[in-house]
Amino acid sequence: MTEPLVHLESVTTGYHTTPVLRNVDLEVYPGDFMGIIGPNGGGKTTLIKLILGLQPLFKGKLHFPAGRPRMGYLPQASQVDRSFPITVKELVSSGMKTRKAWVPFLSASQRKRLEGMLEEAGLSGYAGKPIGELSGGQLQKALLCRALIDNPELLILDEPNTHVDKQFEQELYQWLQQLNKSIAILLVSHDIGTIAPIIKSIACVNETLHYHPSNQLSEEVLKVYNCPVDVIAHGPVPHRVLKSHDHE
Amino acid sequence: MSDFFSIFQYQFFQHALAAAALTSVIAAMVGTYIVSRKIVFIGGGITHASFGGIGLAYYMGLNPFAGAAVFGVLTALGIEWISDKGRVREDSAIAILWSLGMALGIIFVFMTPGYTPNLMSFLFGNILTVGMTDIRVLLVYAILLILLFVIFYRPILYTAFDPEFAKTKGIPVARYRYMMSVVMALAIVLSIRTVGIILVLSMFTIPQITAMLFTRNFALVMPLAALWGIVGSVAGILMAYVLDIPTSASIIFFLTMQFLILKSIIIIRNSMLRKNR
Repeated sequence: MTEPLVHLESVTTGYHTTPVLRNVDLEVYPGDFMGIIGPNGGGKTTLIKLILGLQPLFKGKLHFPAGRPRMGYLPQASQVDRSFPITVKELVSSGMKTRKAWVPFLSASQRKRLEGMLEEAGLSGYAGKPIGELSGGQLQKALLCRALIDNPELLILDEPNTHVDKQFEQELYQWLQQLNKSIAILLVSHDIGTIAPIIKSIACVNETLHYHPSNQLSEEVLKVYNCPVDVIAHGPVPHRVLKSHDHE
Repeated sequence: MSDFFSIFQYQFFQHALAAAALTSVIAAMVGTYIVSRKIVFIGGGITHASFGGIGLAYYMGLNPFAGAAVFGVLTALGIEWISDKGRVREDSAIAILWSLGMALGIIFVFMTPGYTPNLMSFLFGNILTVGMTDIRVLLVYAILLILLFVIFYRPILYTAFDPEFAKTKGIPVARYRYMMSVVMALAIVLSIRTVGIILVLSMFTIPQITAMLFTRNFALVMPLAALWGIVGSVAGILMAYVLDIPTSASIIFFLTMQFLILKSIIIIRNSMLRKNR
């Protein structure tokens, strides 16, 4: 039996002393592609920040049964200061975990990895340019390169489809599907309609979490989950929940 | 004309030029960090809070700069702590420390018996009274800063740009941020000698935004800001001598003019390029 990469047991977390999420149970396995959906302020970002170690744990347990996995993180676009004087090359290389962060220069192998990554993303020509000169889609690509450069086992993306055009969105989803062959992915979105075709399971987050092992949800089930988001699928869908709840 | 060049023979003038150049180098590095992180208001808080230290040191008969350094460092660490914990609005906390520092400074100076002749030089600076010891201190600090920015360039940049992401990569973000707070406070206090409390923040912002007209690369902004800082401050000192006006104000005036002229040239050039397309 494969061990989960991440295991949350009856977790409560929040900001300062105010809980945002209560009694959350969740397991993330290698190969998972989980859409994290829910209304604004429901705790989607709080959940991923808890897994990333950026959020305090009030109650419950957060385990990494096979040891803490290498994690790649793509934050919300609004969190990125585009006017900051940092080049694309520097931005992407900031994703490399190293025990010698204080060494001022990248090693030859790190440089090679960086160049390969930029080439794969079609950003080679922008390596020395400041991030402020990139389009919304190019910046998301650069941020995704930063998240991927450390060969993560778990990739966490927070609303990567905001501020990008439809063409880039489709490109991004194709890229993520490719990556999912070797990497588990948690994808936060407020719009299940656009991510449903690529995800394998859903976590509805609104103060607590309801896990759904399918990429489709009925409106009825969402109501029971207290998870007011758009749906594209209707009708009864078999599902499993880690947190017990009643519904028809 | 020969009268004009004769000023260069005087030791006090040579000291002033050396201090201006070294202050420009120090301010260029720390100011790039301040401007990039958009924490100019924090710089203002540190600067003005340090006046409380000057006042207290005066009252106790100690070195005013030591007092300023202690108050400056404590204020910087306090602001970083507040920002880290997020329990009080950061801007409100800065405003409180800013005005409290000034108030304490005024109270202690008022309580100090006798006349405090150098007080004005702390508020407005007096680069023409800089001695060799001051220059040595500035030189040592400038060298230390260059070493610090070369060795720790990557973590300083990463933690300034995206502290949350840096944390996920195992970089001890809080440690670097607190270190930079101390570095920032000491740089500001040392620069007070050159342009004074009221104007010191200009040295940490104007050359940097001037440099950012030409590059948006952190590593290049620093030397370019140092260059603009040196050009502006040397020109300011010379103008102060020629027109017999206060040096610090003249330096800031020159730095600002430099920025406005270059910005105007860039705007005109860009509009001409657009028309020719």
